[in-house]
Amino acid sequence: MNTSKSPKFQRLKIFFSNIKREFIKNKNIVGQLVKRNVKVQYRNSAIGILWTVLNPLLNMLVMYLVFGTIFGYSSDKTYVLYLLCGNIIFNTMRGATTQSMTSLVNNRGLLTKNKIAFQVFPLSCNISAIVNLAFSYIALLIVMMVVDTSCPFMHVFSLNMFKAILMIPAFFLFIYGVSLVLAAAYVYFRDILHYYNIFLTLWMYMTPIFYKTNTISGNFGKFFVMILKCNPMVHFVEYFRAVTYRMIAETSITDTSAEAVKQVAAIKDSVIIDTNLLTLYGWGIAFFVAGLLIFSASKRNFMYKI
Amino acid sequence: MKKNKKEEAVMSHAPVETQEELPIIEFSDVEMEFYMGTEKIDGLKEFFIKFIKGKIDRTKKKVLDGISFNVKKGESVAIIGHNGAGKSTTLKIITGILKPTKGSVKVRGNVAPLLNLGAGFDFEATAKENIYLNGAILGHSKKELEKKYNDIVEFSELHDYMNVPLKNFSSGMVARLGFAIAIDVDPDILLIDEVLAVGDENFRQKCAKKISELKEKGATFIVVSHSMGQIKQLCQRAIWIENSKLVADGPVDEICAKYEEYCRNNKH
Repeated sequence: MNTSKSPKFQRLKIFFSNIKREFIKNKNIVGQLVKRNVKVQYRNSAIGILWTVLNPLLNMLVMYLVFGTIFGYSSDKTYVLYLLCGNIIFNTMRGATTQSMTSLVNNRGLLTKNKIAFQVFPLSCNISAIVNLAFSYIALLIVMMVVDTSCPFMHVFSLNMFKAILMIPAFFLFIYGVSLVLAAAYVYFRDILHYYNIFLTLWMYMTPIFYKTNTISGNFGKFFVMILKCNPMVHFVEYFRAVTYRMIAETSITDTSAEAVKQVAAIKDSVIIDTNLLTLYGWGIAFFVAGLLIFSASKRNFMYKI
Repeated sequence: MKKNKKEEAVMSHAPVETQEELPIIEFSDVEMEFYMGTEKIDGLKEFFIKFIKGKIDRTKKKVLDGISFNVKKGESVAIIGHNGAGKSTTLKIITGILKPTKGSVKVRGNVAPLLNLGAGFDFEATAKENIYLNGAILGHSKKELEKKYNDIVEFSELHDYMNVPLKNFSSGMVARLGFAIAIDVDPDILLIDEVLAVGDENFRQKCAKKISELKEKGATFIVVSHSMGQIKQLCQRAIWIENSKLVADGPVDEICAKYEEYCRNNKH
């Protein structure tokens, strides 16, 4: 190794200016990629970006018709909200991770011909997923207003919305961590995609999206809840629900008759996995650090395998 | 995975103005190895089956073997050799895409790779969107791109097509756009890999003019091409790489003559 003649501080200056240059460069790439990702989804449809709002609504409607009838929830109008909360969060995760997984290999042409940081691609997929989440949140607000006709605007601009925003960084760290692992694994093993799709189905059933955890009773129920608590997605879904669904579901029942009180108790019961922001950030940071470590460790061989 | 405890490969990209007197590219004893078998295993299932059978191919192939050369600022150097000799790998190491297995590489100054024009193009997007996307990939900030946008459009001569999706472009038009974006950079080092045969005769002349302009400004050129005429026109010096080893390094006419003779003698 050649020893440089320049003094130490100058080397340090060069080092920092390099970091700054890299940061500016990557910021612009990520920005452009996110823009493309969001646009590309509905580029050829007549209503364009509106689909991002409509898609979760239609999805919710289908699930409401199917599962509402099966589980007998269809009389409860707040069930649509219950479904939508779970659906939005889970689909954001699903979209971000599946897209990130193939992002490195799909951009093989770019990576082998230009010097680009590998992380740029999973990162832009995750940011666009969060952008889509924001659009889905609009859908959620619409449903909130429809379900709770008493004082709709109170919920829209309430503390709860703020709480929902607070969980987003933790959620982002979590999905980004998962994405990094998957993206790295996919470079080495292309059949991971099939395994992950199967795993996603299992993951969806292990997350209370359409069923309520309080309906599972007995020893099996206790055991099931214990397993659910080990699933980070449950915490994200349940937290998001606690700050949106539960609160509206409770206030939408205004009378004080015995039946109404029972109903309120049932709603409180339906969120039996109590979680808090600290837990969410714990999961988020743990997955992020693990993902980053795995990604950086496998990065050195990407170029030959891709 | 076994950790590579060999000599750490050194890469550094330092600004050029601090070290004017030093060579702009310094290759000392660079060695590059690839695993041969990696391409064959694509799936986890296959990997386990082969792993159990003990059939994982770990043989390595040396793509570059002890390559050393220096390039001074403002020099134009051609790299010649047969397909698979290691020319493109050398360019990728200069860009920083690949890191050498052994040896040290120093590159002083910013590098503009013209390795594959329009590699980052999204054919569903419009030409304008592609200029911004591709420009970002080449390392420009948004502000720079806004400044350069008009120049790029003018150079590509595609004023009327900026809001047309790229899928409706002819291949020549795509190449022109790619070249216009890549060339508009004011780089210290320009890497050119078989991309000069772009567009029609007029556009080709325009490219040649732009390149000689950059040359006058003091840019360094590294050219990979199989066209001896082009190389002789563009470069003063040539490096001949054959079977991953450096065979000769010297004035372009001399080396090209040697190479052509070697090619004639090795025809089957």
